[in-house]
Amino acid sequence: MTAVLRTEDLCKRFGGIVVSDSVNLTIDRGEILGLIGPNGAGKTSLFNLISGVLRPDSGSIYLNGEAIDAAALYRRARLGIARTWQNMLLFRTMTVLENLLIAPRSYPGESILRVAFTHRAVRTAERLARDRAMTTLARMGLEQTANDMVVDLPFGQQKLIGLARTLMNDGPVLLLDEPMAGVEGAAYETMQRVVREEAESGRAVCLVEHNVSFIRDLCSRAVFMANGKILRDGTVEELIASDALTELYFGV
Amino acid sequence: MEYLATIGVLIAIYVILSSSYNLVIGYGGLSTVAHPIFFAIGAYTAGLLAIHSSLPAPCNVLLGGVAAMIASVLLAASALRVSGDYLLIASLGFQLGLLQLIKNLDFTGGPGGLTAIPGTVTGAARTPFFLVVSGLLAVATVVGIRAIVNGPYGRAITAMRDEELAFTALGRDATSMKIVIFAIGCGIAGIAGGVYAYYFQYISPDQFEVLQSAAILTMVVLGGMGTTFGPVVGAILLLAIPQAITFLNLPPGIMAPTQGIIFTVLVLAFLFLRPAGIVGLARKTL
Amino acid sequence: MLDPVILAQILWTGIATSAPYVLMTVGFALTLKVTGLWNFAQAGLMAIAFYTMFFVLNFLALPVLVALAAAAALTGLASLLIEIHGLQVLRDRGSGNLTFFIFTLILSEFIIYVITLLFGTEPETLFKSILSPVTIVGNVAVSDWDELAVMVASGGLILLYGFLTWTREGQFLNAVADNARLAELYGISAKRAWRVVSVIAALFIVAAMYLIGTHGGVVPNSPLELILTAVIGTLLGGIGRVFAAAAAAVFLGLIQSFSILVIDSRWQNLLLYGVLFVTILLFPRGVRLPRFRLSLAGR
Repeated sequence: MTAVLRTEDLCKRFGGIVVSDSVNLTIDRGEILGLIGPNGAGKTSLFNLISGVLRPDSGSIYLNGEAIDAAALYRRARLGIARTWQNMLLFRTMTVLENLLIAPRSYPGESILRVAFTHRAVRTAERLARDRAMTTLARMGLEQTANDMVVDLPFGQQKLIGLARTLMNDGPVLLLDEPMAGVEGAAYETMQRVVREEAESGRAVCLVEHNVSFIRDLCSRAVFMANGKILRDGTVEELIASDALTELYFGV
Repeated sequence: MEYLATIGVLIAIYVILSSSYNLVIGYGGLSTVAHPIFFAIGAYTAGLLAIHSSLPAPCNVLLGGVAAMIASVLLAASALRVSGDYLLIASLGFQLGLLQLIKNLDFTGGPGGLTAIPGTVTGAARTPFFLVVSGLLAVATVVGIRAIVNGPYGRAITAMRDEELAFTALGRDATSMKIVIFAIGCGIAGIAGGVYAYYFQYISPDQFEVLQSAAILTMVVLGGMGTTFGPVVGAILLLAIPQAITFLNLPPGIMAPTQGIIFTVLVLAFLFLRPAGIVGLARKTL
Repeated sequence: MLDPVILAQILWTGIATSAPYVLMTVGFALTLKVTGLWNFAQAGLMAIAFYTMFFVLNFLALPVLVALAAAAALTGLASLLIEIHGLQVLRDRGSGNLTFFIFTLILSEFIIYVITLLFGTEPETLFKSILSPVTIVGNVAVSDWDELAVMVASGGLILLYGFLTWTREGQFLNAVADNARLAELYGISAKRAWRVVSVIAALFIVAAMYLIGTHGGVVPNSPLELILTAVIGTLLGGIGRVFAAAAAAVFLGLIQSFSILVIDSRWQNLLLYGVLFVTILLFPRGVRLPRFRLSLAGR
């Protein structure tokens, strides 16, 4: 089995609202899985459960066969679960480059002791991170924005930076929460290309999107969620063709 | 001369206190009012060790800093378990409670305070010696904190303050980082306390009341939170102003509240009109 | 064994003495619940309340009712001004917790310094004498002050409960306490709720300070200690649980009262802080007794 990430009977409720109802999801190496469904279906909540923002009421999550339920949010990121946010959550008072430099999975420069005692290692790590950050920016055609304040960039570029920051975590899993929302034109093309490249290099990618053409272009497989449950799992064409699902999605 | 030198030592000590407080609240973004109690822990530890042990003075001062650091870690670790906002109330409780304990225990000298802390240097060399020592420590503190907040560590602190959730989701342990910053800031305050104890040779609980945290807070807010020299400017101003007022020769019953009114009005004014503080302002006009 | 009469006496005195603290704690806890703010400016309001009454009674020589009315008006006005021109301004700016804390604490200190300038630091009581006529009820000494204190506190609690449960204004407070933004969507004005609660807190403070001022000496710095009891009670009761906080205040009063039997009076204050420590370490979300769920509209 090449399932990099697997959830098993994941359940979560808030008071009377069930956001996850026995969710069983698998994401394979090199695949781009689409997660679609109406608002409030529990898609972002599922991302929150997988990345560790939320604790499930019951159920388990496995990364490369190992259960990661005990790991806290920051530890799951170090294990390699990288995600983007609907609100981007970019670091407002920092430049583009600085935003990216926060993101690699291990950073000796952030430990006081290591700064004090292994100065040269810290400097090397800084240099390597800087190179990787510039390379990532170049992939998106945004190297020239490196020293701009991230809040000064247009919306589409900010979204790309958000993606770039997440990519600095070179772990096996990539969760993208509505990366295309509000993005069009060149930024759209770039994002498509980058996501495809990531999958091709072996990452397991899962993305939540409302943009059906994006899903259709990129995803080989998709999962339809509503009311916290996975209703259908299949190819994008199958899902789109289903009348019942279309009604759920577009119906009142 | 002696008088000016004492002011000099006080300014140095307050620069250390306000800079370290700024590290915790301005850079680290932690809400706490417990700074004076760590100053007190340092002072009492050093003072008690000076009286009851035969360890050399620098050792006692250092141990004062260590004691303050350990206490701060205990406080932060338990409070941050609940939430970041909880630290504010927990620190208030810790400040008041520990002070109350000090007032009631006999071996700390009770409400009367700890007297006759043995001197180190005596004679004419004493004042310049303490001036130099405290001055050097003040410079070291400012330079050290500046070094911490520039570079990758400072970047991480800023990111944590900007968007803690995203920061954590990028693999950073925000809680540990907060505890470390808190420990460093409070440890430095503890060392300042040790120096204070040795210079004045007398410490008492009312020197470390909650109103002290208001004074240090004033220095930081006035000078500019989250800037390197803001706390320095704040400390100098806040120690200079009362001196200027003494020249007015007001009766003591009027002087103390008048000073208090001037400080509180300044803080409120800055809080509403110039939240960036004096140094923050200067930056903008440059 | 201990004389039951002594125990009864201590129990009664403990409850009566805790009455003003109950009022203060309720004002503080209610404010915390509805605004989400630890409002340390209430220490300043306490000072305003007491010294207004003191001034009216002793300098203007006017009757008690006038003093109470003046205090209610001034404290209520001050509270409202702080809410409208202080807290709301900071909210509009998106200020953080520390800024609110600095503002409320420093404002209280400012008020206290001004009052120190005007009234000096000698302890003052509202009336020349704090001795209150005592009746013996079943071998227990019950003073007029005790009775007044318990009546005012219970009355206040009952009125508040009724207000929160049965009036629309009160239910709005609960809605805003729950989720201010959601309440706005339903047409409930959060600003109005915050203003209403600021006035309610002021009234509770005036009542509390009257009781305290007729029972012992007050100095300008007293409110800073008094508000600490309110904080502890609020913490023990659990953030958002106003009536549990009231119960906690009574509990604290009783602990202090009964502890006289076993420990020296000089450790009284320390006991309070000990309780605070324990609360912070073990019950940061408040003490939850399983049966003790008072069901009022909200919490």
